[in-house]
Amino acid sequence: MNPARGGWLGRAPITVKAPVVAALLMAIVGVVASERVLSRLVAIQERQINELTSAYLEGLASPLTEPVLRRDPWEIFNTLDQARHLSSLVRPVETVVSDAEGHVLAGSDPRARPIGSRQPAMAAPAGGEGRIAIDEEAGRAFVSRSLAVEGTAIGTLYSEFDISELLAERQDALWTLLATNAGLTLGFMFLGWFAVRRMVRPMKVLSDHLAQSPEGGIRPISPRLFPRLGSEAGHLFRRFNQMAEAVNENAALAARLAEEQRLAGLGRLTSGMAHEINNPLGGLLNAVDTLRRHGDKPMVRTRAVSLIERGLSGIRDVVQAALATYREKDGGRQLSLQDFEDVRILLQPELRRHAQNLDWHIEATSLPSLPGNPIRQTLLNLLLNASAASGEGGRLSFRATTHREGGLCLEVADSGPGLPAAGAALLTGDGASAILGDGKGLGLWMVRRLVDEIGGTIEVGGSDLGGTSIRLELKNVAMERHSNAA
Amino acid sequence: MLTRRTVLAGVGGVFAAGAAGRSFGAAREPLRCGLTPVLLTSDLDLLEALRVYLTAATGRDVEIVTRRTYQEITSLLVSGQLDAAWICGYPFVAYRSELDLLAVPIWRGRPLYQSYLIAAADRQARSIDDLAGDIHAFSDPDSNSGFLVTAAELAAKGQRPERFFHQTFFTYGHRNVVRAVASGLAQSGSVDGYVFEVLKEVEPSLTQAIRIVRASDWYAFPPMASPALARGSARTAALRRALLGAHRDPAGQRLLAALRLDSFAEENPSLYAPIATNMNLVRSIG
Repeated sequence: MNPARGGWLGRAPITVKAPVVAALLMAIVGVVASERVLSRLVAIQERQINELTSAYLEGLASPLTEPVLRRDPWEIFNTLDQARHLSSLVRPVETVVSDAEGHVLAGSDPRARPIGSRQPAMAAPAGGEGRIAIDEEAGRAFVSRSLAVEGTAIGTLYSEFDISELLAERQDALWTLLATNAGLTLGFMFLGWFAVRRMVRPMKVLSDHLAQSPEGGIRPISPRLFPRLGSEAGHLFRRFNQMAEAVNENAALAARLAEEQRLAGLGRLTSGMAHEINNPLGGLLNAVDTLRRHGDKPMVRTRAVSLIERGLSGIRDVVQAALATYREKDGGRQLSLQDFEDVRILLQPELRRHAQNLDWHIEATSLPSLPGNPIRQTLLNLLLNASAASGEGGRLSFRATTHREGGLCLEVADSGPGLPAAGAALLTGDGASAILGDGKGLGLWMVRRLVDEIGGTIEVGGSDLGGTSIRLELKNVAMERHSNAA
Repeated sequence: MLTRRTVLAGVGGVFAAGAAGRSFGAAREPLRCGLTPVLLTSDLDLLEALRVYLTAATGRDVEIVTRRTYQEITSLLVSGQLDAAWICGYPFVAYRSELDLLAVPIWRGRPLYQSYLIAAADRQARSIDDLAGDIHAFSDPDSNSGFLVTAAELAAKGQRPERFFHQTFFTYGHRNVVRAVASGLAQSGSVDGYVFEVLKEVEPSLTQAIRIVRASDWYAFPPMASPALARGSARTAALRRALLGAHRDPAGQRLLAALRLDSFAEENPSLYAPIATNMNLVRSIG
């Protein structure tokens, strides 16, 4: 059943749904079986009533023919009176004999049906000739039979029977049946519930283990929960544990790869940073040398110290940016404009190395509440990718804008040849996309993971610079939530 | 036919000593006694008691013959196929020349009984006039108390039963007349007073729903008759002796007690003259 469409049963877990369905089926079987048995009983009883009443009327028809022909009321009455006690299960309550014109010749209760009165209407309407009409409420059956001599009708015999005993018997049977079936159905419902619940228990274990997996890992099923050896569920659990192991290994591998990628990025930056530090170092050493030799001259000393100070400040900025980015544990620090500035500083060596130009637009004075580190890491990855894609003398742009509703939009564009479809899928796909075979997608995969973590969305499109534009839409989230999730 | 119809149905019954013609040359042949419906609880017991007593008292085998109607028994008797029969006073006077009076039962000290007109207990009727337009049950067309008395009363008023009543029918038994009225099949009936009185005693549930509208004059009790053909025969004489001596014999006393009778007595046939008068009155009206 489609959970989106189903009612409460549709939404219920299968461990409840399956036993309920089994119990309902049992109940339906019980009801249908009862109905079939009862209708069969009714049919049998009606046939029995028919046979008994027919036998009664047939038994009367013969001795009544002669008196009816003679129109002898006493003889008819006497015959009816003697037959009154013949039948036991269907007791005749009243029998009336009328002539061909419908006038009563005699009845078993002459006060109710005096001689000469019109024939009773009791049996005529419902049953018709030879057919039985049953009034269940009154516990009565009505039958009529015509009396004929050599094909000529001479009169009609009407009988009313007390079938209350038969009906009571039927009622008894009904209650017995209902009680028995209700008991059995309840029993079967319980058994069905119990059996199905037992059968689907492994599913619950699987479902619980899947749902309880924290931080993306899958918790294997404890051997304690394994059913007996060789069972289907045992087999399933072993397969699940194998899968969990594989998934966990993959996750560990991915984490290690991510770490390596981070360190690789660090390496790239470090070389840039070395260059960045090395450049002023020559000037700084010269300034030191100048100080050593001409330190007594105030003018020279002041200029050299200023030079050293600027050079060391530049080195300090680079080092601080790197430290902030690669600090192992940084808690739930909130995103600040300094993060963007740090990224810019870290990127500078790469840009200079490839003679690339970066348009930098920060159109935000106050930033929404967002985690600092993931965004900083994401941005750095995207910009390094853009730098790598744009090649020598390429152009890059970065734009940070805030929304009115408090979100933040970060857009990185480049003049490169464009992001391959597989790379775009890594960023925007269902999350099932594998890391590209050559390992190049790792940076993108990390971006996707980081953005997913902070609940953002990624759009990939073309850029005005001729290459790719990647837009991150980040909603304002509570810092605390992110910290907890992490 | 020994069904319930015969069980208490009415006295008027008869038993008859064997027809003389047959019995003369066949002394060992059983005596054949005719009986129309008997009235007491078990007619089989009564028939057996009668047979046993007559066998013992006559020293001959006795066969009891029963029929549904008075007419059948009367015919058997008149034609000499029965040695004796307990018949009603009406056929006795109707076939007076062909029948001899054998013995007359004594009931409550007299050889007399009455005819009752009966109706449901809740009816207010006081005379036959109140029963006009009824569905009326008669016992037997050959019964004095169960037909003739009522017909004669109507004849005296210039009426005939089939006109006076809305509808009439015969039940061929006095007890059946009581049943017909008690059940409501008939609104009124003509019944033997002796049978009704005995029924009151032995079957009160049947008679309690009934009231006597009027009791008739006293008429001669239904007699034991024998065919005139057998007049003076030993068989007839044996039967007469047996009947007249019944009240002196223990078995006879038991029989009489069962029949609620005192004894059998010799009576003058002129006792039946009022019945003959009634018969002529009814016949005169056509």
